[in-house]
Amino acid sequence: MEKIIYAIIANAGKTEQVNDYVTNIRGITGSNLYALHFNEISVAVSDFQSSKFIISKELAIDFARVIEELSQQLTVLPIRFGTVVKSDEIVKQLLTDNYNAFRENLLKVENKHEFGLKVIWDYDKCSEKIRSKVESEEINAGKYFSKSTINTNYLLEKLKKHRLEDAVLKHVELLIEEISRFLAQINPDCKFKKMLSQNIILDGVFLVEKNMKSEFIEAIEALKQQHDDLHFLLTGPWPPYSFVEIQIDK
Amino acid sequence: MQENVIDQSKDITILELLDRVLNKGVVITGDIVISVADIDLVYLGLKLILTSVETMQQRRLTTIKPNQPQK
Repeated sequence: MEKIIYAIIANAGKTEQVNDYVTNIRGITGSNLYALHFNEISVAVSDFQSSKFIISKELAIDFARVIEELSQQLTVLPIRFGTVVKSDEIVKQLLTDNYNAFRENLLKVENKHEFGLKVIWDYDKCSEKIRSKVESEEINAGKYFSKSTINTNYLLEKLKKHRLEDAVLKHVELLIEEISRFLAQINPDCKFKKMLSQNIILDGVFLVEKNMKSEFIEAIEALKQQHDDLHFLLTGPWPPYSFVEIQIDK
Repeated sequence: MQENVIDQSKDITILELLDRVLNKGVVITGDIVISVADIDLVYLGLKLILTSVETMQQRRLTTIKPNQPQK
């Protein structure tokens, strides 16, 4: 029977307790969840017949439910959805071959929650404010061109556009710097992308100590109050999906 | 309006969840992994709905913000 792998688990030598907890959770498609162990790490798996089920959004959501339930009591590294192997032996081999990497990563996420934060603005509205500021600073055409022609007018327009884009980017950089500085009081590990699109100026994930959860949420609330023109989209707490840094090619 | 906001939040949470489950976590590839068909279709669907999050949020900003007191 094929096996679907859900998560790597830190067992701290308490394999019986892990067994009890894991077997009380239902796997996807109503399967029985169970744990396999190697030294201080375990892995949660269940039977899965890939030819029998249609892979769907609902199945992926149910898979996430299993990981969520596991993470409520255990330190876990989620496995990407759809990882199916032929037997328990292969799962055990994966566990032993990658023991150190799993262990190090588990230590990094122990007692921590992941939060997602997207900062969104209305690009047109915000860039309009910046535009009026930029346009108030006259461009000295003589500095760039010796005489005025259709071409120079075109190039001046291009230059204005470039200056606006530059000013928008600088404005975003300052905002992100301010947000990062503000959240540094919580001291989370973080990863983020700037200007994911014209409207999403920050797409970040934060790894926050469980006992700092309320402080983190309050800090985001405070940022919301300070920035009326930005929308802060906070999600979580999540199992530490984004702080798993293991890729295995077998 | 409130109900609409709640619906949007629920949609966004599901999108965030799918993004994590499909794109993140321990990645195991190679001959030992059985290829599960149709996962690409879930990815594709996710990409399509992700673009709608932005639109949804933008609409929300333009519809809600004007009624809020300016600081």
